[in-house]
Amino acid sequence: MPDTSAPITRIRLKRFTAFESLDLSPSAGINAFLGTNGTGKTHLMKVAYAACDSTQPSVRFPEKLVRVFLPSKGGMGRLVKRRRGRNSATAEVWCHGKTIRASFSNLVKSPESVEERRRIWDEPVNSVYIPVKEMLANAPGFRSLYSRRSIHFEEIYADILDRAFLPPLLGAPEVARRGLLRKLRTVLEGNVTASNDEFFLRSRQGILEFTLLAEGLRKLGLLWLLIQNGTLLRGSVLFWDEPETNLNPRLFGPVVEILLELQRQGVQIFLATHDYLILKQLELQTTDKDQVAYHALYRDETGEVVCKSTESYLDIEPNAITEAFSDVYDLEIQRSLGKRK
Amino acid sequence: MTTLSEGDLRLTLPASVNGRKFDDEQHGLSHCMKAVDWILELPDRICFIEVKDPDAPGARDHGNRDAFLQELLSGKLSGALATKFRDSFLYEWACNRIDKPISYYVIFASADLDDALLMSRTEDLRRKLPSGTQVNWVRAIAMDCLVFNIAKWNEVFPEFPLSRPQP
Repeated sequence: MPDTSAPITRIRLKRFTAFESLDLSPSAGINAFLGTNGTGKTHLMKVAYAACDSTQPSVRFPEKLVRVFLPSKGGMGRLVKRRRGRNSATAEVWCHGKTIRASFSNLVKSPESVEERRRIWDEPVNSVYIPVKEMLANAPGFRSLYSRRSIHFEEIYADILDRAFLPPLLGAPEVARRGLLRKLRTVLEGNVTASNDEFFLRSRQGILEFTLLAEGLRKLGLLWLLIQNGTLLRGSVLFWDEPETNLNPRLFGPVVEILLELQRQGVQIFLATHDYLILKQLELQTTDKDQVAYHALYRDETGEVVCKSTESYLDIEPNAITEAFSDVYDLEIQRSLGKRK
Repeated sequence: MTTLSEGDLRLTLPASVNGRKFDDEQHGLSHCMKAVDWILELPDRICFIEVKDPDAPGARDHGNRDAFLQELLSGKLSGALATKFRDSFLYEWACNRIDKPISYYVIFASADLDDALLMSRTEDLRRKLPSGTQVNWVRAIAMDCLVFNIAKWNEVFPEFPLSRPQP
């Protein structure tokens, strides 16, 4: 039985982008997606993110899907899995047990003509999508440019800046949130501040604008802002696409520690990763009380993308990441043994 | 056919391969020299083999497994493994038995060590073995070294199966 206290309890896709058919019940805690390129990890997270954002009364799911996926010329029909003739796709997500759904054919041009089926949520689901490319350093001017001009950027980039610029919550952060901020401050060796659309790190080295910081540190700065301004609170959802990108592996441990702590505080988390160390850190730091699920996306013998989920790292099958290591280690053995193998 | 034992583990060798236990009472110098567990003589090389068995039932029960993992993670273990190799090499050299290149194989009999970890442990051990490349040695004392788990050993050396017979 899915945990209906979690924001997202089920994702069902039919003929949507890479997926012929997928029905996933994510964990209420951390969901780690792994798979080779082109198996739909990012698409899956984007659909769920678009659904979360569409729990706001002012946001329609079909339009949000188009802005997040950015199909050519805004043609929503291009999100239907390619096949000859007329076809239709369905994207359906259960948020707090209520569904939000969009069904559309590959002939549809504009999302306005697509009907959505939705329920009313008392409170919208707060969500945040951290894309692979870091955006904070590009914040000055980007938000106003995005709102006034038609520029070819997926909306996740504008959304993440909107979330980052939210002012802090009133009152002092509660104990758990203070603990997280302290951990991040230790890793960052400073505090993040914002001034006139620009972000700075205030540390012993002085006040450094984000453009002068390593990209990995900017990502941690973003996480600090999202925790500090209350975007990531109980009941919210964090989507993080390849957290390992531009981050020194030494920082994976603290990052996974923070993700696990966010999960303990009631944040549902979706990660897509290609990195062995991220998964291994997750496995080694997970306690019996944590809720962690691993979802392996892969193409079956017919070439369709399928998903196998497990709560145990060692049961991930197939594990594209460890298979890559095995291939390298086999080469190592072959080289060492010369003609023996 | 020869069978070599170390704790619960058994290495089975065909009759054509000469293998011996090295760290037993016949070693005679254990008070001052470390020793690898087994030595095999193959047509093209001599294999020094060291076995670490954190999954042995006794090790699990007495907390030795945790100590092993701590040692492994801290890097102390690879230092100790390098010492075992050097002392064993010296011993065999003094016996005038080094007439072929030497390979050093370490078997971690733990299911927890996947290929990624085996690879990183191999690299760590390789860095700790004296290679002599920086001081113009004309002979290598270790031709290569590799770290295995039981499954990987049996995959690479099916002719020398390693097993843990049930009691």
